[in-house]
Amino acid sequence: MTSLAEMAAGFLGADERDMVLGDLAESGADVWSGLRSVLGFVVRQQLELWRSWRRPWVASGVSLPGSLLLLGVSFALSEDARNLRRSGSIHWTILCEVLLMLAWAWTSGFMVGSLSRRTRWISTALCAIPCLSCVLRFQDTSLSRFCVLLFLAPGVVGAIQGIRRVQMQLRHAVVLATAMTGLMLVWSGMSAWNWSLLLPSWFLVGRGERSEGSRKGMVTSWEHGDKSQQRS
Amino acid sequence: MLGEFEYVLITAAAGLGDAAYGAVIREEIEKATRRNCAIGALYTTIERLEKKGLLKTWMGEATPQRGGRAKRMVRVTPKGLQAAREFFEAMMRVSHNASWVVSGLEGVA
Repeated sequence: MTSLAEMAAGFLGADERDMVLGDLAESGADVWSGLRSVLGFVVRQQLELWRSWRRPWVASGVSLPGSLLLLGVSFALSEDARNLRRSGSIHWTILCEVLLMLAWAWTSGFMVGSLSRRTRWISTALCAIPCLSCVLRFQDTSLSRFCVLLFLAPGVVGAIQGIRRVQMQLRHAVVLATAMTGLMLVWSGMSAWNWSLLLPSWFLVGRGERSEGSRKGMVTSWEHGDKSQQRS
Repeated sequence: MLGEFEYVLITAAAGLGDAAYGAVIREEIEKATRRNCAIGALYTTIERLEKKGLLKTWMGEATPQRGGRAKRMVRVTPKGLQAAREFFEAMMRVSHNASWVVSGLEGVA
């Protein structure tokens, strides 16, 4: 039972892995029925998540088009960098492009990670498929084919932080979203589609506001509790 | 209202009391229904019922029999008991005039 079912159980969380593999060991399941049980659980769990949550759908809606847009952004940035290197001068717009690419990729990764913690394999696949297809079909000989993947590193960092539930303070989120909006307004050479990449940064603002609101609510109820205790 | 499998699961867990956990609930269901109960179906239903507040689960102790792996203990909440009672009563009401019930009662009489 062990090896195959344990491998398949890698798709489950630590507690779920324990309970399922423990149940199989207890019932003395053979290799194939163990594997079938674990895979059946993985599939059912995913179906249940996709049926009952808006979150995986929103995460996929960001992951696929977001990676397509960011592939374009990475390519445009690489082209601009090459042109600037040839001309020998440095223009401030390249800095603007670099900053925006980093911020777009990080915020998109963060949003996808925090919304699809349990469906992260699907979100990863939805990002990986266009990346792979783009790298394989790349034809510009003056640039490395991997230049289209510049966004991946900040995107992956953002996704990992999103999965680990890293909290961003409201004021930091507001500063980031405002700075990104400002940079996008200032930079005129941007495609109109890229405005949609601003959505994840405002998602962070909404999330920061919500967590700050709930924290305030807890403090207020705590204070009320203290006062009523003092009165009694 | 509960689904059929949800009712079976709650009833099996309630019957087992403090000893209710995944593997024994599954065994109990298979014994009562004489049908195979998939681990996936069991745990996704447990998860759904827990979200509805009808069950409470926690990780129990590990035993050598389970290869040193922990159990997922299950307890039916008062809300879960109420939901199961309502399901049972609805089934009794709807079955009132069913031929197999009537013939069963005549057989008893």
